[in-house]
Amino acid sequence: MQRFLDPAVLAGISGLDLIAKTVVDGFVAGLHRSPDFGFSQEFAEYRAYTPGDDLRHVDWNLFARTERCYLKRYRGETNSQLTILLDASNSMNYGSHAVSKMDYARYAAASLFYLAIHNQRDPAGLIVFDDEVRNYIRPSTRQGQLHRLLAGLEQAEPRARTNFMKPLAHFQEFLRRRGVVLVISDFYESPEVIVKTIEPLRFHGSDVVLFHVLDPKEIRPELRGPSILVDMETEQRLEVIPEYVKSEYRRKMDGHLQQMQERTRAAGLDYHLLVTDKPLDAALSEYLFLRPGGR
Amino acid sequence: MGFLAPWFLAGLAAVGLPVYIHLLRRQTTTPRPVSSLMFFERGTQSSTRHRRLRYLLLFALRALLMLLLALAFANPFLRRSSAAASDRLLLVAVDNSFSMRAGTRLADAKREALEVLATRKPSQPAQVTVLGGELQVLTQPIKDAGALRTAVESIQPGDSHGNFGELGRGMRALVETVHTPIELHLFSDMQVSNMPTNFADMVMPGNVSLVLHPVAKATVPNWTVESVEAPGQLVDPKKARVLAVIAGHQTPVATRTVSLVINGAVVATKKVEVPADGRATVVFESLDVPYGASRCEIRIDAADGFPADDASSFAVKRADPERVLFVHQAGDPRSPLYFGAALAAAAQASFVLQPINVEQAADVDPTKYAFVVLSDVPSIPSILENSLLRDVQNGGSVLIAAGTSEAHRQRIPIFGESVTDAHFYSRVGGFSTVGQVDAAHPAMKDSAGWADAKFFYASVVDPGRSRIVARLADGTPLLLDKQIGQGHVLLFASGFENVTNDLPLHPAFVPFVDHAARYLSGEEGLSGARTVDSFVQLRSTTSEAAARSQGTTVEIIGPDGKRPLSLQEEATVQSFRLTHAGFYQMRFANGRDALIAVNPDRRESGLDLMPDDVLKLWSGNGSPGVSATQTAGTAVEQKNSAYSLWWWFMLLILIAAVAESLVASRHLGTQREEV
Repeated sequence: MQRFLDPAVLAGISGLDLIAKTVVDGFVAGLHRSPDFGFSQEFAEYRAYTPGDDLRHVDWNLFARTERCYLKRYRGETNSQLTILLDASNSMNYGSHAVSKMDYARYAAASLFYLAIHNQRDPAGLIVFDDEVRNYIRPSTRQGQLHRLLAGLEQAEPRARTNFMKPLAHFQEFLRRRGVVLVISDFYESPEVIVKTIEPLRFHGSDVVLFHVLDPKEIRPELRGPSILVDMETEQRLEVIPEYVKSEYRRKMDGHLQQMQERTRAAGLDYHLLVTDKPLDAALSEYLFLRPGGR
Repeated sequence: MGFLAPWFLAGLAAVGLPVYIHLLRRQTTTPRPVSSLMFFERGTQSSTRHRRLRYLLLFALRALLMLLLALAFANPFLRRSSAAASDRLLLVAVDNSFSMRAGTRLADAKREALEVLATRKPSQPAQVTVLGGELQVLTQPIKDAGALRTAVESIQPGDSHGNFGELGRGMRALVETVHTPIELHLFSDMQVSNMPTNFADMVMPGNVSLVLHPVAKATVPNWTVESVEAPGQLVDPKKARVLAVIAGHQTPVATRTVSLVINGAVVATKKVEVPADGRATVVFESLDVPYGASRCEIRIDAADGFPADDASSFAVKRADPERVLFVHQAGDPRSPLYFGAALAAAAQASFVLQPINVEQAADVDPTKYAFVVLSDVPSIPSILENSLLRDVQNGGSVLIAAGTSEAHRQRIPIFGESVTDAHFYSRVGGFSTVGQVDAAHPAMKDSAGWADAKFFYASVVDPGRSRIVARLADGTPLLLDKQIGQGHVLLFASGFENVTNDLPLHPAFVPFVDHAARYLSGEEGLSGARTVDSFVQLRSTTSEAAARSQGTTVEIIGPDGKRPLSLQEEATVQSFRLTHAGFYQMRFANGRDALIAVNPDRRESGLDLMPDDVLKLWSGNGSPGVSATQTAGTAVEQKNSAYSLWWWFMLLILIAAVAESLVASRHLGTQREEV
């Protein structure tokens, strides 16, 4: 079943819904083999009744014994709103093989949406941004939400350049309810700026996860000779020699990744590096791990 | 250095192609997109230098490739000496033909040959040969100066007719075994008559450089006895006569004294006026020689520069007339009449015909006759047949006329072959004529009148292994010669009676009978004169006859009184080459004795020299008159050969193409990566 999570296999499937279903079904089927996991409707907690709560959830047995009104809550009912912030800048269009970073991000997002809405019945929303917010689909569990989200992913064609500062200001307006916020980007920015920009999202009590999508050739690029490189976002050109790529670039990239990991951890953010030639289950596992019902 | 096809040098303009591609055309590099240049740094200077170097290497290789291609098509060559002097074989050929006896020609040739050998480098191999009628090798390629000098000094004057065609043939055979270049020095009088009929025969092979050393500076006037016509055998000295032709080459009008010498004594002298550069005939009306073989000679008092050719020898054998047995049918008186008349009418009649009926011939001994004629006899007694067959095996001869009576026989006696058919041309109202004659056969020397004879009948005889001397127009064999043992059987497929043909009425019948009689009696080869380098057959060439004569030896005594053959050769050799002028005494395997006079080829007496332009053409270097003082080394330097560099250029092209492919593949590999 693992092969259905391989990005190269998914690239041959047309339609994000089918891709998402294939990924999630494969992933869930794999989970069922493990006794440590499960998300059936189990008792989770008692909560004191507050005016306005639905009287159907009051534990009347407990009220009869203690004359205190408590609401009985089950794990399956713990809604965890999922919001995915998808970077749709030009740099996401890069790909050294069949699956570009944007494709990989779409697959991951679609699979998460499918998992959240179809399996967990969690509200899910999407914010597509580059240097500004290009598309916003409000989190919801309404009928047809999954199709709206998938359509939003389809329309998210990379363009322009990434600028976290500008759209993040708007994110605050959209994220009023705590939940899980996933930021999918290649994060070609200083870790310090990234953390500084994204960190405020935690203040609402949301769990913020950074999915750092990179192509394998971005981590370990190969040049056989001197080449002219063009920045896909700025169109800037630069002549580079292979010797530099083999030594200095790798050192810088490794440092960047390490800093991303350290600074996000320090800021209470979760960070995951997703390499586009690796299966998608890492992203799904992380979501289930962060979701309250999954703990 | 030069070019065999210089027009292809125009292809050098193609060098402009890589110049345009590499230097004039703007280099375009497809940029490679990356997500961000955030972690990259510029490496322009190093990159550009590296690329420029690689481009320059590729450009150089491509320009070199174009250059080499154009040069290869232009076919460059180097003018260089074909080989170092020490690698060449110095081949000395000294002409010792008969004409080299004139003046001091041979001595001069040997002296110049020694001079050339003296200038030879000690490390250079040399070989000494003698050119006469054939190219004779005196030494192998050696470096021993003493042996070479001895070989040259040992060259004796010869009597052969020189032939430069033999020199060309010998050189072509030599280059098959000697693979080093050959420097041939020919020391000769460059006589015109030594040239072969076809000039191509004397052209040297490619790796033989010919250096000519003419030893005769000018043409010398010369009188000579060009030919002598005398009987080889005679019966009556009064009837014999000697006819001599005196020729002058480049001579003025002069009166020459011509002498007939018999056995060393001058028996007659005549004066004759020889016109300028012309011929005169002298006739001696009698040849009074004693019985037996006599050594005769026609001599002139030439007093010219070439006294060796002032005499011509011939041998004459005087004997009583020999009898010829003529066996015929009782009812056929015509055949002996015509045949006997023709035999008696011959100029040198030395035969007496003895006709006999076939019924009376049973106890005849054929060995007592010069030869036997079987004239259209339907059958012969078996005793006669056996004795005839034995006689033929031992060297006797038989002439058979297969007339109409033979048409009823399946097998012809003695001859051994069968009559397969009979052509009666008269029955169809016509006749046949002679269509083909082998004039080389001794019996057909004067066959001019045979075409007029009409043949009304001819037996069709299976020729078997016999030689067909004459055929009728329809291809029917008319005259066949078959060798049986040491003897011959001549078969005439018609009759001598003037009924089956009218040949006996034609003048051509007399010389035919005369020559056939001489041939069958064996007189033909027992006397007279021959030319130097001609061959004498000592034994029969057929295996049957050779086996029969095995153990019987021949005997030859040369002009110098020595035996030229060893004992083993005398027992086995089949023919002998007459290499020297003079008288040869011979005893053949069949027991007959002969005295043969041998004279040099009279073409040697014409001392005209080859023209300079012919010598130039032959030597091929534009300097035919190479002086005698020219050394071997200088001759080598003048003979340069064109050494083509085409293969070397093709090899360089291959190497350049491989190198270009390697460099280009690395370069283009980068380009693909960038795309």
